[in-house]
Amino acid sequence: MILLSFVFLYGCAQTNILDKVGLTTLVGYDVGTEDKIKTTAVIREVNPEFQSNVEVLSTENDTSKGNRMEANRKLSKKIMVGQMRVILFGEELAKKDLRYYIDTNLENASVSNGIFMAIVEGETETLLKYEYQNIEDIGQHIFRLIEQNVKQEYMISSTLHQIAHDYYSSGKEFAMPIIKRDDELVELSGIALFKGSKMVSTLPAKDSFYVKIVRDTFKVGLYETVLENEDVPSEILQKPANKITVAFDAIQSKREMMLVDADTPTFDLNIKIKSRVLEVYPDINQGDPKSVAALEKAIEKKLSKEIRRVIAHSQEVESDIFGFGEKYRSEVRHSKLTKDKWQKIYKDMKVNVHVDFTILRDGVFE
Amino acid sequence: MAKPIQLSPKDMINAYLLFFVVHGAQIGVGIQGFQRIIYQDARQDAWISVLLAGIATHLVTFCMIKTLEIYGSDDLYGIQIDIFGKWIGNFLNAIYVIYCSVAFFSVLRNYIEVIQAWIFPSIETWFLSATLLIIIIYAFTGGLRVIVGVSFFSIILSLWIFPMLVFPMEYATVDSLLPILENDIRSILKGAQSMTFTIIGFEILNVIYPFVKDKKKIRKPVHLGLLVTTIIYLAVMLVSIAYYSEGKLLKTIWATLTLFSFISFPFMERFEFVAVCFWMLIILPNLCLYLWAAYRGAIRLFPISEKTFVWLFSFIVLIGTLLVQTRTQINTINTVFGQIAFYVIFVYPILLWPIARLKKNFASKKVKKNE
Repeated sequence: MILLSFVFLYGCAQTNILDKVGLTTLVGYDVGTEDKIKTTAVIREVNPEFQSNVEVLSTENDTSKGNRMEANRKLSKKIMVGQMRVILFGEELAKKDLRYYIDTNLENASVSNGIFMAIVEGETETLLKYEYQNIEDIGQHIFRLIEQNVKQEYMISSTLHQIAHDYYSSGKEFAMPIIKRDDELVELSGIALFKGSKMVSTLPAKDSFYVKIVRDTFKVGLYETVLENEDVPSEILQKPANKITVAFDAIQSKREMMLVDADTPTFDLNIKIKSRVLEVYPDINQGDPKSVAALEKAIEKKLSKEIRRVIAHSQEVESDIFGFGEKYRSEVRHSKLTKDKWQKIYKDMKVNVHVDFTILRDGVFE
Repeated sequence: MAKPIQLSPKDMINAYLLFFVVHGAQIGVGIQGFQRIIYQDARQDAWISVLLAGIATHLVTFCMIKTLEIYGSDDLYGIQIDIFGKWIGNFLNAIYVIYCSVAFFSVLRNYIEVIQAWIFPSIETWFLSATLLIIIIYAFTGGLRVIVGVSFFSIILSLWIFPMLVFPMEYATVDSLLPILENDIRSILKGAQSMTFTIIGFEILNVIYPFVKDKKKIRKPVHLGLLVTTIIYLAVMLVSIAYYSEGKLLKTIWATLTLFSFISFPFMERFEFVAVCFWMLIILPNLCLYLWAAYRGAIRLFPISEKTFVWLFSFIVLIGTLLVQTRTQINTINTVFGQIAFYVIFVYPILLWPIARLKKNFASKKVKKNE
């Protein structure tokens, strides 16, 4: 009898046969005319006989569901969002307000919390509608692009859950990667900083290392830095040069954020990085412990300078993407911290950055 | 003293099975979304509320067992008639039957709501309700031993869900739990009171007690069941607080299910869909035990055969699920039921114990005098 009822239950549900649905893999939102929402959806239609077909559709309506209905009217297949992997926002829209879009996607049970969100330089429509020579499915391509970079820890991760987590916490702002079209390719070009639900500033993609290292623990990641002029430890060089480029692999990093003074919030930020040096140009004598120590010192100095710069930039635009506020809330009793309150305090917050950089080893050839 | 229930050993169950009965009856629909209700009051100290509520269940159960031991082999229905006399006793019994029925209804309707919200928005309520009721009728007609068996398998088969909590830990931040005890005791206690709807179920002990073979041995399995429930709730709460930020937790209706929503395996894209379906197994003991408890009370109120009762009951519940359609109505029922349940489950047994003792002393003195 139990079996029988299961059979009945099963038959009663609306079936979605793969041949008869269009799978939305990516959705882009832009500002439309007259306050409408302009949606560009990348829809993959699976055909059993032929190669599957990718459709990029733009529609304009008052709600995102309205857009879905309109897109449905234009396709022979039913549109489903269960396989959606990426949501993109046009730059202009992000500068206005993203709150509505975060909430609608959280509300919808068929949208996974692990979906990626990113900003597009310019309009999403132009990015998606461009006919790339080598990219067959732009939706899948952008997803792989972001996923791969997040996994390799080159780019900050911005899943719907993380965005919503930061947005709804009183002491942290969210940040998203920015993507843009570069001729026939799509590239990650930077990080967008948000204040509340509005985009207020950007950081170049190179800075994502510093953002990552302060925001969360950095595990495996390649990083390249240039030590210039005064940073160059001259004594370790075999030939004098006015810059050294160093590429290293951060094997392990540890971040410690400590509130040392609650009145004018002052934080101690201790970062410990253990790394493997991959490339140094021009050559230095890596066999000599003294020069290794000097190189470590030089990189420490450089890193703390850059980290201070990135934090100062975020303070200027009042966007605490690092979560100093969360630390403040968790340490100061009865702070009754709200987002507005923290944005004001954050501006005048002080941070002491200490970087401890250790070179564990280099390659197999000295 | 009223005559104790006469039972053949065939109908009795072993004491250790009470672990499964108590634990299975406690965990049900509440765990899917209790976090935000507690969090509203107690904020990041919500886990303390959960702990307090867990301790309270132990205290109440202690009183319950003491009361039941006075009578040896009778259930709450018999005890109430003995203490308060025929009229008031039967009135209280009727209330208890209604309480069990509402609990049954509430579990069923909440589960249907979850199915409709997460997976099948277009399936009719009556259909889901009828399907579930048929399964429950099937289990119920098998008798108590089958119901206990359902509880046993429900727990054994759903053990694998608990380790899934490890996945969300990847995004958890311990800072969300600090500062500890920032909120005052009153709001933490209020949070503990809001746990009622989620943590009840152990009152089944009041009714199942006469059916246990080894009445002296029941303490250990019962308290162990309560302890395991508390640990599970505590773990879920801690992970939820660390995983969500304050604003997000307040807005997430079924936080446990959302917790699962980003778990995905190569062979399974969305884990929570499986969890929602699987939850049927978890609520089955809930429903069966409440139905059975209501039946035990009903046969004392009026003569009714098991079959007639279960069909009549199911029919009424089916109509009920049709009347309650919207989320707001369901939430109102949950809140009101939770408040009433607090008095029925947490306050009443503590009051009943001294009354039962007084009555017994009084009765034994009377017997001596007559001699």
